[in-house]
Amino acid sequence: MTKEPILSAKDVEIQFSLRGRKLTAIRRCSLDLYEGETLAIVGESGSGKSVFTKSFLGMLDSNGSITHGSIMYDGKDLAKYKKEKDWRTIRGKKISMVMQDPMTSLNPLKKVGKQIQESIELNQGIKGAEAKKMALEMLEKVGIPFPEKRYNQYPHEFSGGMRQRVVIAIAAACHPDILICDEPTTALDVTIQAQILNLIRDLQKELKMTVIYITHDLGVVANVADRVAVMYAGQIVEYGTVNEIFYDAWHPYTWALLSSLPQLGVKGEPLPTIEGTPPNLFNKIQGDAFAPRNKKALAIDFEEEPPFFEITPTHKAKTWYLDPRAPKIEQPEAIKRLRASMEGRG
Amino acid sequence: MFKYTIKRLLQSVVTVLIVVTIVFLLMRMLPTDYFFTEDQLMKFTPEQKEEQLQAAGLLDPMPKQLVRYYGQLLKFDFGESRRIQNGVDVVSVIGDKFTISMKLGCTALVISLFVGILIGIIQTLNKDRILDHVGTAYTIFVNAVPSLVSYSLVLAFGSKVLGLPSLYSTRNPSETSILPIVCLSLASIASYALWTRRYMVDELNKDYIKLARVKGTSSAGIMIKHVFKNAFVPLAQYVPASFLYTIGGSLLVERFFSVPGMGPLLTDAIVRYDVNVVQTLVVLYAVLGTLGVFLGDILMMLLDPRIKLTGKGGTR
Repeated sequence: MTKEPILSAKDVEIQFSLRGRKLTAIRRCSLDLYEGETLAIVGESGSGKSVFTKSFLGMLDSNGSITHGSIMYDGKDLAKYKKEKDWRTIRGKKISMVMQDPMTSLNPLKKVGKQIQESIELNQGIKGAEAKKMALEMLEKVGIPFPEKRYNQYPHEFSGGMRQRVVIAIAAACHPDILICDEPTTALDVTIQAQILNLIRDLQKELKMTVIYITHDLGVVANVADRVAVMYAGQIVEYGTVNEIFYDAWHPYTWALLSSLPQLGVKGEPLPTIEGTPPNLFNKIQGDAFAPRNKKALAIDFEEEPPFFEITPTHKAKTWYLDPRAPKIEQPEAIKRLRASMEGRG
Repeated sequence: MFKYTIKRLLQSVVTVLIVVTIVFLLMRMLPTDYFFTEDQLMKFTPEQKEEQLQAAGLLDPMPKQLVRYYGQLLKFDFGESRRIQNGVDVVSVIGDKFTISMKLGCTALVISLFVGILIGIIQTLNKDRILDHVGTAYTIFVNAVPSLVSYSLVLAFGSKVLGLPSLYSTRNPSETSILPIVCLSLASIASYALWTRRYMVDELNKDYIKLARVKGTSSAGIMIKHVFKNAFVPLAQYVPASFLYTIGGSLLVERFFSVPGMGPLLTDAIVRYDVNVVQTLVVLYAVLGTLGVFLGDILMMLLDPRIKLTGKGGTR
């Protein structure tokens, strides 16, 4: 990938102060985002996926702040943005976000159309009738029938799926470069999920957006993503193209994650789970954060943090397993089965 | 919307009717002596009393009396005062006093609405900072300290430091009303501030505020267009009702500053068994209260599209 990244986060560290204690939610995490791609960030709850991406548009809770690193976008370092006024040049216009729960993401007392229109008026300097026309177009674009009638309705008159369409319309109304979708389908019916994912994909093509999906649903990842980043305890531990992650993963956490896919289970055997709990982010973490939960951890995993090792130019993993000095480690059965199934399919 | 309004109106009428009935029945449990003035009680023989009561229909069976009372109410005939001003129509006994109480109550309501909501907004904008704590301290103080104590403080401060008159006078109503109005407003300012802050903070933490921020709305825009507007909806419901509380509160305040309003009249009437006056005042309070709640609901319905307009019970 020779393209210049559209957004490049380097060594980002994000801390929250909670009752006088410091919690490091993101531990020197780096990420490059390329124009037009769809990147999925996966990881368990609390791994920092949301926090990391929220910092791209200054949406951290008030007790959190970026304490190290840079987020370069369009020649500017977003990590240095402090003022509301600065962020408003980014939010909506450049980077936008779709949140998890459509039931609560809309103002219950405002007409749906007005809420989309507000977004257009704020960011495109268009007012009144023309903005309304664009809002109506946007409603149509996200697949809401009878936009004229729907424009004047309130959120409670919409179903969950329809509301999520409205939320997407609001987020995409100003044609942002980057659209962050924070678990956009988690709160929805399975049948609706596919529709919403398709909608996002269509909009992405039409508006030429770069999309970041935050999810813990690997099914969604396989469906929509070009590239995948796996997060654990505030760090990206492995990233690569979808195929590389699904069929040739190397980080033990990615293995564990994939092995617990229900589709990979062997009939009659219990489905593997990841034992233990993620580390406490109040404490300083020594070595590989996943080591205590990894049965095959190496001695060095407890001592020193592994660097990224390159597997292919697009695929890197942060594990000592890939060090030439490490004893030879085989990928687990489940990963091999996955690869076999892919090769079988050709 | 029409259906809902009609339904709420009917409910209100039923409520008032029940109150009227209960008050009437309770009053009829008093000894019939109330029908006579103190003088008459001394002078009349039992036979004379009996005769008078018979003539006034007070010895009829209860249901008959009740129906007659309903009839009188429909004609806005509230009877005559006995003990307070013998033979004078209750309406004119209450009349002037009602006007005075209403004037004080309405002024206090408007003041507390503005000041209370303003304090609430300031507290929200300064959440968890010093101004917020000062506001909360005020609310706690007003609620925790017996109201007579805070009234005394107002009185002491107002008359000693500011030199304001400490007693109400009909000859100089505007200046002498200041301290009673301040006292009347104390509690409702506190409660408006408390609820405004509470509802605004509630709204601030909601997800749609995040989406509004994501799409680039400024802090001021969020506060005005989203937070305050939405927080005002649940608040609006209490405005008409709190009107009643302001008048109710005047019971104490009016005594304290010897304002010749409805408050002292009610206690007077109760102490002296002036049944018709008590009855009418209680009915008046009930009507005001029910009307307050009714108007609150209608206001809420107009402001909140989620309240079902089709009358099928609504989903709130």
